[in-house]
Amino acid sequence: MGIIDLDGLEVRLANRLILNGLSGELRGHAVGLLGPNGAGKSTLINTLLGFHAPSKGTARVFGLDAHRDRAEIRGGIGYMPENDSFIGNMSGVRFVRYMAELAGLPPQIALERTHEALFYVGLGEVRYRKVNSYSLGMKQLVKLAQALVHGPRLLILDEPTNGLDPVARLRMIQLIKEIRKEGSIRLLISSHLLRDIDETCDEVLILKNGRIAALCNIEEERRSNRSFMELETVGATERFSVSIRGLGCECAAFPDGRIKLILPEHIEARDLYVIASEQGVQIRRMNQRRDSLEDIFLRAMDTAPEKGTNGRLQAQL
Amino acid sequence: MAVYRHSYSAYTGTLTPASTRVGVVVRYAFAEAWSSKITIGIFILSLLPCIATLVGIYVANNPIARAMLGAGREQMVAIDSGFFLKVLEVQCWLALVLASWIAPRVITFELADDALPILLSHPISRVGYIAGKLIALVGSLSLVTWVPGLLLFVYQCYASPQPWAANHLRLAGGMLAGAVLWIVFLSILGLALSSWVKWRVVATGSIFAAVFIPAGVGAVVSAVLRTRWGFLLNIPFMITSVWARLMGAAELSSPDRTLPTGAILAMLILACLVCVAMLNVRIRAREVVRG
Repeated sequence: MGIIDLDGLEVRLANRLILNGLSGELRGHAVGLLGPNGAGKSTLINTLLGFHAPSKGTARVFGLDAHRDRAEIRGGIGYMPENDSFIGNMSGVRFVRYMAELAGLPPQIALERTHEALFYVGLGEVRYRKVNSYSLGMKQLVKLAQALVHGPRLLILDEPTNGLDPVARLRMIQLIKEIRKEGSIRLLISSHLLRDIDETCDEVLILKNGRIAALCNIEEERRSNRSFMELETVGATERFSVSIRGLGCECAAFPDGRIKLILPEHIEARDLYVIASEQGVQIRRMNQRRDSLEDIFLRAMDTAPEKGTNGRLQAQL
Repeated sequence: MAVYRHSYSAYTGTLTPASTRVGVVVRYAFAEAWSSKITIGIFILSLLPCIATLVGIYVANNPIARAMLGAGREQMVAIDSGFFLKVLEVQCWLALVLASWIAPRVITFELADDALPILLSHPISRVGYIAGKLIALVGSLSLVTWVPGLLLFVYQCYASPQPWAANHLRLAGGMLAGAVLWIVFLSILGLALSSWVKWRVVATGSIFAAVFIPAGVGAVVSAVLRTRWGFLLNIPFMITSVWARLMGAAELSSPDRTLPTGAILAMLILACLVCVAMLNVRIRAREVVRG
């Protein structure tokens, strides 16, 4: 069972269908939540937190109903919202300690872990300053600290790099990678930035118009496209491409010496060099192209999801 | 996690019972309310009438002190239901000043910074959150209303001859019930208005306005239409009538202007329900999407 299970989940807000029949199992250690504006990412997160009641279907977190058992679920979740959300009048320590105590930590332990969490995210030196005196990057970090302080089982990060400069963004990404590496926390990261998801997640859920456009394991997707290759050659390109076909490759040759091919599993790049050498063909350039998350995302956006379909790779990735 | 290691580790210790989370909200709200020097100032000012009353009770019950002051018993204020009604009135109006200052403090900081998504993503419900704030406010206002009122009553019981205490026990119950009714109403009103106003100064003003502006409108309605029902908008008039009836003291208003207790209570409950509806709309983790 995945940490998050969706079964025909529908959410209506003000009589508008926001999430439309989402079904699937999120099993990854770090799941990226992608989609254009208005796709339903934040609504899905709010539903998982029990803020919205499903109008149909269910969402389960840790095997518990996201709405009925929301108090129990929230105890195991750390949530970092997208927008500014803090108590600016409090110092960093006081704010994070307050959140830790609300999560159920005894006051003394809450204070200890607050100091640790603030040092961990890099706010140790400014922890006694009021939160509203923090820079935007610091505010993002204090939100991360409060989400981490009680040791949640699932960490939900809504646009964690929003508004950060490149250095702060790198630091945030590094922190997320460390948290993921530690292993005790599952992550659900919503972002507009494909690069952030690419760097931190192993699974991606792409939403479009309130439906699942794709749900796939990023690594598996990349592996399945690893054999796609582009060559730039000089010499007898036609004869070379015929020879490559003879090896069992699917191949297309273009007049300017470019060749596109898909290598079967038993053929390696070295075999191409051997044939080229035998035929006096120069291989000037060889690109072994991997599918980027951007390719996956764009294909998912191009493919209109079928009503009621669900699950893995439904968008014909 | 460890400060010196700068590494993350999961928490594996015990958790506090879910029922105690409201207590966390209460504690932090109480601390926020009393962290202001102005709060302390209003609190001290609120205790000055109590000290004066204490001296009055002492003198009224002590022949030597009266002799030293050169005053006879007939010149002293009678310590009866009317006396304690005055004490309750003074303390309760000072409680309005205190409530208008601390109610915005306990809630507007969190709403202005949009802290509700984070707060409510923890295992505490909206009802629990509001209840926590309400308890903190009621607790704070208790310190200037029924707590000193009952202490004065106890002192009067101690200082006066035995029969006085036995004959006036209703005063204690009336004072407690009247004060609790008022501070619960004030707390709900204060929270509801503060939750809708971003600026604390405006919230403070709006609490005073909510108490006194309808009173003016009610007086106009009563005068124009020559009816007593306009006083149903007059919160000070209504609550003073309730206090007098609870303590068995004489009402200040003429008999043709008095309102039935049921109508007063219904009006106060209606006002509270409106405040609860306001809180219900405002205290949410997310803005309600309108179609």
